[in-house]
Amino acid sequence: MEFGVAGVANLAFIVVIAAGAYTYAVLTLGPATGNGGFQQYIVGLHLPFAVAVLAAAAAGAVVGVLIGVTGLKRLRQDYQGMVMLVVSLMAATVVGADAGLFNGQAGLSLVSNPFSGSGSASGDWTYVGVVALSCVLGFLVLRRFTGGPLGRTLRAMRDDEHAAAAIGRSVVNLRLLTQAVGGAFGGVSGALLVGFIGGWSPSAWAYPETLALLTAIIVGGMGNNVGVSIGTFVIYLLLLQGVQFLPQIASHPGLTEAFGWIILGVTTVAFVWLRPQGVFPERRPRFRHHPEDQELDAGAAAGTGLSDSVGA
Amino acid sequence: MADATPVPPLAPPPAGGVVERAGPAAGHGSRHQGPPLLEVEQLVKHYGGVRAVDGVSFAVPAGSITGLIGPNGAGKSTVLAVVSGFAPPTGGRIRFAGRAVTGLPMHRLARQGMVRTFQLARVFGGLTTLENLLVAVPGQRGLSPLGVVGGRWIWGGEERRLVKEARRVLRRFGMASKADDYARTLSGGQKRAVEIMRCLMMRPRLLLLDEPMAGLSPRLVTELERILLELRDEGLALLIVEHELETVDRLCSTVVAMAHGRVIAEGTMADLRTRREVQDAYVVG
Repeated sequence: MEFGVAGVANLAFIVVIAAGAYTYAVLTLGPATGNGGFQQYIVGLHLPFAVAVLAAAAAGAVVGVLIGVTGLKRLRQDYQGMVMLVVSLMAATVVGADAGLFNGQAGLSLVSNPFSGSGSASGDWTYVGVVALSCVLGFLVLRRFTGGPLGRTLRAMRDDEHAAAAIGRSVVNLRLLTQAVGGAFGGVSGALLVGFIGGWSPSAWAYPETLALLTAIIVGGMGNNVGVSIGTFVIYLLLLQGVQFLPQIASHPGLTEAFGWIILGVTTVAFVWLRPQGVFPERRPRFRHHPEDQELDAGAAAGTGLSDSVGA
Repeated sequence: MADATPVPPLAPPPAGGVVERAGPAAGHGSRHQGPPLLEVEQLVKHYGGVRAVDGVSFAVPAGSITGLIGPNGAGKSTVLAVVSGFAPPTGGRIRFAGRAVTGLPMHRLARQGMVRTFQLARVFGGLTTLENLLVAVPGQRGLSPLGVVGGRWIWGGEERRLVKEARRVLRRFGMASKADDYARTLSGGQKRAVEIMRCLMMRPRLLLLDEPMAGLSPRLVTELERILLELRDEGLALLIVEHELETVDRLCSTVVAMAHGRVIAEGTMADLRTRREVQDAYVVG
C-alpha cells in the first residue's frame, strides 16, 4: 500500500515492525523485576495475546505517523526516502543505546508462544494457523484501502502529487493516512513475529530488512496485492530463509547467509532494469460499459474530437 | 447574466504604474459577465531578490473568460501559481466568491471551486483516462471511513453513476474510445483534454488554464475553443494564460496584459492591440 499504491518510499518501515514487536513483547512479558534482573524493560503487564497484538497495531500506526511527520511535510519523494532511512538508523541506535527501555543491544527474549500450552509442536502449528488467518484477514482489509475510490486517490497521488492537490486532495493527509495504516500492519506483523521467535533485538531490525521488503514489492509487482504477497513469499521464505539450508563453507563462515543478500541485491537491480512493473503488474480496472453508453460512444467517435488527434 | 457593465478595477493602479483600462469590454461573451468571482488585489510574489509579480490587480467576473497575456517572463504563470495556491504570495489579497482566500493551499482552493490546469499537462499516468476523471470527483463516499469499511455496499451505486457521468464528459471531448487507455499513453493534446475534463468532474466555479492551446494542432485549437465557449455559456468562469493572441481574441471578453511582473493594460483584445505599451512589451520586451 505505501510503496506500490501511494508511492511513499518508506525506508523506515522496519521501525514500525520493531515498534509492534517491542510493544507486544513488553505487554506480554511480566514485570522486569520478576526475572532477577536478567533483562530490563518498561511496562511488563502479562496481557493476553489479542490485546497485545491490537496494542502493537496501534503502536505501529502511531510510530508510522511520527515517521511520516518527519519527512512528509515539504520534501520531495526521494528526499523523504532518505530522511526515513536516517530515521531508521537513528531509531535502532537510540533503542540499542538505552538499556532501560527494551534491554539495549541485547534485546528482549523469553517472549512465550501464547499457544505453547497445548504442547510445543502443536502450539507452533496453532501459531502458524493464527498467522495464516491474520494474513488472509490483513489481505482482505488491505483491499478496502487499495481498491475503490481511496485506492484510486492514493495511486493518483503516487503518479503526481501536484495534480492530486489540484483536484482537492490533501497530499500530506493522504500520506499520513497511508503511514498510519501501513504502520498498523507493520505493528501486527512485528507482534506476530516476536510471539513466534520469542525475542527481538536491534540487530533484527537493521535497515537492510526494509530493503528486503522493497525487493519483495518490486519483484511481486508494485500496486498488486497478490503480486506483493507472492513476492514476499519468494524473497523472504525461499531466498533469505532458504539460504540457511545451504551447506556452510568452513573457510568462510557466514558466507552462505551473505549469498542471500547478494542475490537479493542482484534481483532488485535486474527487476528495476528489466521488469520494473514486477512479475504481476498493477491490474487495469475495468468498468462496466452499459449498452446505451456503447451506442453513444460509437456515435461520438464518428464525429470530431480529440481522440483522433495524432501527434497533437 | 445580461449585465454588460465593465468590471471596475478592485484597486487603484500601483504607484507609478501604467495601468490604463481600455473601453467597455464588448468582446466575446461580455453578455455573460457578472459580479467578480475572483478578485486579485496588489498581488506580490518574490523569489529571493526577484520580484516576479509586483502589485498585480485584476478581477475575473462570473460566467466570463478572462485572458492573461504578456511576453515571456511577464509573470503570468506566477500569477496563476499564486492565485491557485500552488505558491504562497509575498503580499496582496485574493478573494474568491466573496471570501478571502489569500495563501490557502491549492487543495483547499480546489475544494472551494477554483481549479487549475498546468502549463505541461499533468495527468495520472498510472490511471486510465476514465479513472483520471473519476478520481477528481469531490466528496465520494468511498473516501469516507464508512466507505472504506463498507466497500462497494457503500459506494458501488455512486460509482456507477459517476462512471456514466465521466463517459458523458469523455464523449463531449470526443475521447470516449480512450476511456480504458492509460493516461500515460495519450498524446499531448489528449492529456491536456484529460486535465480539463478532470477539472469539469469537480464542477468548478472558476477554471484556471495555463497555456491550454500550447502544442495543439490548429484543428484541435478550434475544437478546444468551442468547448471552452460552451463551458462559459454554461456559467463557468475561466482565467486563461495564453500566448496565442488570436485565441485570446476569440475567447476572452476581458484581457489583462502583463510585463515585468505588472499589469500594463486591461480591456478587450482588440483594444489592447492598439495600445502602445502592449506593443512595446511584445516588441521591445
